[in-house]
Amino acid sequence: MTTPIVQASKVVKTFGAGRTLVRAVDGVSLEVNAGEMVTITGPSGSGKTTLVSMLGALLRPTQGAIVIDGIDIASLSEAGLSALRARTVGFVFQSFNLLESLTVRENILFPAHLAPGGMPAAAPHADDLLERLGLGKRSKALPRTLSGGEKQRVAIARALINKPKLIIADEPTGNLDSKSGQEVLMILHDIARDQGRAILLVTHDRRVEEVADRILWLEDGTLRDRKQESHDWTNDPVCNMRIDSWASLIFSDHEGVRYNFCSDKCRDRFTADPSKYLRETQLAEQSEERKP
Amino acid sequence: MFRWTFSELFAAPQQLLASVAAVAGAFALVLFFEGVFAGESGQIVALIDKTEADVWVMQKGVGNMHMTTSFVADWKIDAIKDVEGVKKVTPILYLNSVIEAGGRNWLSFIVGLEAGDTRAGPWELASGAAIPGPGEAILPDVIAADTGLAIGDTVRIAGREFTVAGFSSDTFSMANSITFVTMEDLGDTMSSIGSVSYLLVDAKPGVDAHALAGRIMDQVEKVNALTRQEFSDRDFSIAVQMGLEIVWMMTLIGSALAVLLTGFIVYSHVSDRERELAVMKALGVRDWAIYLSIMTQALVIGLLAFGLAVAVVLLAIPLTDAFAPKISLGLTVDALIRTGAMAVIVSLLASIIPVRRVLSVDPVTAFQQ
Repeated sequence: MTTPIVQASKVVKTFGAGRTLVRAVDGVSLEVNAGEMVTITGPSGSGKTTLVSMLGALLRPTQGAIVIDGIDIASLSEAGLSALRARTVGFVFQSFNLLESLTVRENILFPAHLAPGGMPAAAPHADDLLERLGLGKRSKALPRTLSGGEKQRVAIARALINKPKLIIADEPTGNLDSKSGQEVLMILHDIARDQGRAILLVTHDRRVEEVADRILWLEDGTLRDRKQESHDWTNDPVCNMRIDSWASLIFSDHEGVRYNFCSDKCRDRFTADPSKYLRETQLAEQSEERKP
Repeated sequence: MFRWTFSELFAAPQQLLASVAAVAGAFALVLFFEGVFAGESGQIVALIDKTEADVWVMQKGVGNMHMTTSFVADWKIDAIKDVEGVKKVTPILYLNSVIEAGGRNWLSFIVGLEAGDTRAGPWELASGAAIPGPGEAILPDVIAADTGLAIGDTVRIAGREFTVAGFSSDTFSMANSITFVTMEDLGDTMSSIGSVSYLLVDAKPGVDAHALAGRIMDQVEKVNALTRQEFSDRDFSIAVQMGLEIVWMMTLIGSALAVLLTGFIVYSHVSDRERELAVMKALGVRDWAIYLSIMTQALVIGLLAFGLAVAVVLLAIPLTDAFAPKISLGLTVDALIRTGAMAVIVSLLASIIPVRRVLSVDPVTAFQQ
């Protein structure tokens, strides 16, 4: 039987009021279970950060309910939310967000002072994480001396120090090279599988498809499940390259129709003169039709 | 959090040093001003302190030397000598006046000494004669250094000309100086016949000065007798009272400056670290813990600045003596305690300035690139 670590029910988050009201998240429901690695993807401005902020107890929803480890966050004070985050949620950020004046080991141990037992109790765990994440020899180094991959491993170790049930990772591979990115994804995957932690990953990294249990697509504040094997093929109207519209992040709307592109360059050419490419597409389609 | 508080503060030593130096400047200003004031006040009681008489006897109803006149009939000298426990009595004439020397006027205590008396004379000689002869005066060496006055030159004291016979050290302050002449010359100037101003009484070994002062007042009519410490304290407190408002004003200005500087530094610090604060909040650190950390940082800056200010003033004392001898600079324990307490209060007040900024840091911004 699976245990839900985080449950969101018909969650709505709005910002502003009246004519400036924005529905950043609109009726999202989801569950993330222990040991599960769930990826949320979607175009920029789709509400991913707002959603994970709520799922990580950083924001309260305007409507709906979010229950983390059995606690409805709406019932908690600011102090209660802070305590819940310290105890139950680990964060991994795209830009690492290490505390620059602290060493690697001190960064990892930092959240431990918010947990029962404090830093002394967490010290052996920190040393274990340092070894497991290949940071043993860098424990006294300052963040500015680390590579991107090392920084992200430190951030992961920091997220794990209080043994949280939920880890939220926001674009954890966004600032890493290909090799380091792959390494980080495998570490997160292993944490979910071996330690039974729920991992919620916000990413555009296609490689995550290989390791994620579920991929959710967020667009205009609403969520839809996307099967890993699902594809919706279309063609770039400029270069005619075949594109999966489920995963495409580069698009442009013209006369009520969404066109997907392989690159920003193709999109820019299209937006400069849409009729040219639409005419060419039309001619190509007619030519296809005339073929015997 | 404690570790971060200090690591973060000392992570940029040059920035910290600049911050501490700026705040130390404000504290040094306060300490320096108080030091000058204490030094000047100390010089006002230099004659009382340095001559080291056990008891001072003066006219009944008089309890000070500064800004005061005292007349004691000279026959009382013998009466006091007869009091049990008295070893020696040294009379002086005293006039608070202006001397004209080197083309300038100088406020001065004019002390008239008995012929050949070294007991109440200059305690430190710079050059020339230690005891003034008839028509001679011994002036502070600072006046000589400042005006080029030399031994043998003429000065005017209370309208009468005197020849400079010597220069004494440690007898000058900006507010006051001490000039020694003979009692006969000063008596002529003051038209003082059959009276002296003060009597310096030395007690026999083992005699309690306080008890001796009591016996003198009991046995000799119409005199007041005070131990050296009492007499000195009274004059010192009068001098302090005269400048108290100015000192307080300067302390207030210096403190306000220090609050603004520390507040600005701490505020800039918070602004620079806004992202780290957002991350901390996201990780579960409470606002009060962040605020406590910032208050600690402000306190460290304040106390380091105080230490630096004390060091600067301590260094300034010998430098002032060497290069600006007219300024008497002193550092009292009272001034240190007061300024130290001020440093703590300033730090606590300054740490209030960035509170709003700390509270407004949104943990969600930790997600932003």
